[in-house]
Amino acid sequence: MQTVLNLLEAEPIRLFLSFGVVLFLVLNLAAILTMAERKASAYIHLRYGPNRVGPRGLLQPAADVFKLFTKENVSPGRSDLWIFLGAPIAMFLPAALVWMVVPFSPDSVVVNLNVGILFFVAITSIGALGVVMAGYGSRSTFSLLGALRGAAQMISYEVPLILSLLGVVMLTGSLSLVDVVNAQGDAFWTWYFLPQLPMFLTFYIAGLAEVKRVPFDLPEGESEIVGGFMVEYSGMTWALIQAAEFASMGLMSAVSVTLFLGGWQPPLPFLDLGPFNWVWFGLKTSLIMFTFQWIRWSLPRLRMDQLMDLGWKVLVPITLVWLFVTAGAMLVIPGN
Amino acid sequence: MLSEERRVDQQSALTEPAAGRLATPDVRDEFGLETIDMNMGPQHPAMHGLLRLILELDGETVVRCDPVMGYLHRCQEKIAENRMYPAVIPMTDRLDYFANMHNEHGYVLAVEDLLDVEVPPRAEYIRVLMCELMRLASHIPSIGFLMLELGAFTPILYAFRERERIQSIFEAVTGARMMFHYIRIGGVKADLPPEIPQQIWDYIEGLEARFHNDFVDLIQGNEIFISRTRGVGKMTPEKALDMGLTGPPLRCTGVDFDLRRDYPYSIYPELEFDVITDTAGDVEASYRIRIAECLQSIRLIKQCLEKMPEGAVMGDLGRRLRPKEGDGFGRVESPRGEFAVHIVSDGSDTPYRVHYRDPSFCNMQLLQEVVPGHYLPDIMPIMGLVDPVSGGWDK
Repeated sequence: MQTVLNLLEAEPIRLFLSFGVVLFLVLNLAAILTMAERKASAYIHLRYGPNRVGPRGLLQPAADVFKLFTKENVSPGRSDLWIFLGAPIAMFLPAALVWMVVPFSPDSVVVNLNVGILFFVAITSIGALGVVMAGYGSRSTFSLLGALRGAAQMISYEVPLILSLLGVVMLTGSLSLVDVVNAQGDAFWTWYFLPQLPMFLTFYIAGLAEVKRVPFDLPEGESEIVGGFMVEYSGMTWALIQAAEFASMGLMSAVSVTLFLGGWQPPLPFLDLGPFNWVWFGLKTSLIMFTFQWIRWSLPRLRMDQLMDLGWKVLVPITLVWLFVTAGAMLVIPGN
Repeated sequence: MLSEERRVDQQSALTEPAAGRLATPDVRDEFGLETIDMNMGPQHPAMHGLLRLILELDGETVVRCDPVMGYLHRCQEKIAENRMYPAVIPMTDRLDYFANMHNEHGYVLAVEDLLDVEVPPRAEYIRVLMCELMRLASHIPSIGFLMLELGAFTPILYAFRERERIQSIFEAVTGARMMFHYIRIGGVKADLPPEIPQQIWDYIEGLEARFHNDFVDLIQGNEIFISRTRGVGKMTPEKALDMGLTGPPLRCTGVDFDLRRDYPYSIYPELEFDVITDTAGDVEASYRIRIAECLQSIRLIKQCLEKMPEGAVMGDLGRRLRPKEGDGFGRVESPRGEFAVHIVSDGSDTPYRVHYRDPSFCNMQLLQEVVPGHYLPDIMPIMGLVDPVSGGWDK
């Protein structure tokens, strides 16, 4: 017994196991999010949503996954098979990997990297590769257009996304996500979303664009390019793309909560739940994810040129200005 | 790929916004740029019915847009030649299936033009009442479709909620939800059920109360909606007249033309309503026009219900209709524009020739003229401006 416990605490195995746990959570999160999305959209649409499988339709995701597993994987005849099949993996892995550095509570984080924010930035950028692979490998005009849009969008919005992180990094003086949360304190007025409000909004908007949600879902653009880069996918490959989208949506919410909304910290000091503080993290992340869905079902889609205008002419200047404001404030206000 | 002279033709015909978006020929030659040919439809989830667009794209900019029709052609005009006059009415229901009442009305007006029938006033009021309800049931979903094409899914469900309720009224009156066969030569099929006028009145009052809340507030001021629709599909009044547009696509350019007022039929001269025009001539203007026309329809329905006289609903017709030799012509303002029917009679009990002038078909040529130079995603809002119905353009 003792040897097993010792073995479990050996670093590589601990890492492996806890990443397995996180991966399990992420895949389930994706399934639950599809359900949440459908129920939330149904509420907005004056519909019932899925209500047949299981109590109140709660087993619908399980039925969906079962259906997708049993479906045939169809690939277009002229497709570049390796690239075509590799794309969903290239999309899913980055989304799942970054969850390793997200702190759920002070003790539950897979690896407390001292460059966690850098890791987040670096790994999420790889997601664009998957989109390009999917579009190129499918060899269809619709996919190609979707992939080009996706690549342009994700690369452009990386810039305001990274710039909006820098304010938090300056205030904390650390790139570790755990340090960032610890620095924010256990009351909502000390969290970074107040002094960094423009940065928070920029991060939120750029995050929406990064995970390709409405109003920035041009790579999908179902009314003109019918699903864009994922139009040729079916069965499990399609499910993997969807899982990647939902995982990265959850990731973006989790990271924005970690950076700006105090992570696991309770909103008021007396609400401290001790070892159960991850509940706060979960609640805040769910709230942000719900706003993502709310926006998804309320707004129309932008056009490519307008998207680029918004990114480069509005978001980037805002972040740059606020970066200087933050730096100036840190110089002037002592003890910060 | 286009031949070179056709390309020159297309380039010179390009509309305003194309100017800065397309690569000039020398740039294209220098970098060896090529355009992509793309096939949109007929099995495209967002396309209005079975329309196929052959597109040539320069990046995201459309260089050429050729609509291909005929995927829903059912030989309606030929079929009409082999059926007796009253038996053609159910076939007209299948033309523009978002404006069935207007199709019936147009056909019936054409036959009545050949015959000497006196339509009882109550029947005329019921016809107009039904046509205006139909206009509501067509305009409100077309607003929803426009939003759906812009990527917002929710408005269509609100729109279809209203359409379903109007269809329930139709079901109570005519017995069918879509293919009514209600407006007959010489009158209408049956009188309104006794409780229906009150039901329509209640529904219309409710719709008027929530209309602004459901279809205007969230849409009209939305920054994304404005940026996606303002200046998109822009037309001048001259061009719109040249293309023979009618209905909202014509009125949104500022041409003040509405058959209900300018070539009045039925009891429209007795009713008060405004013809809505807008000067912008773009997709946003067509949206505003549809919104305002819905409110005018509500106004007309209320007047119809208030003024509706008592009496018979069917004129005196023989058992078998044998109109005199000659031409009959009927035109009505359908939600999409002018729906006209031309019947040539040879004196027998079947028409010699029937021709339908459907607004979807005629407004469709706008695509070829206006779409080149717009971005690919702009095609869909422009389709929302035209709002064609597949059963209409293919007959």
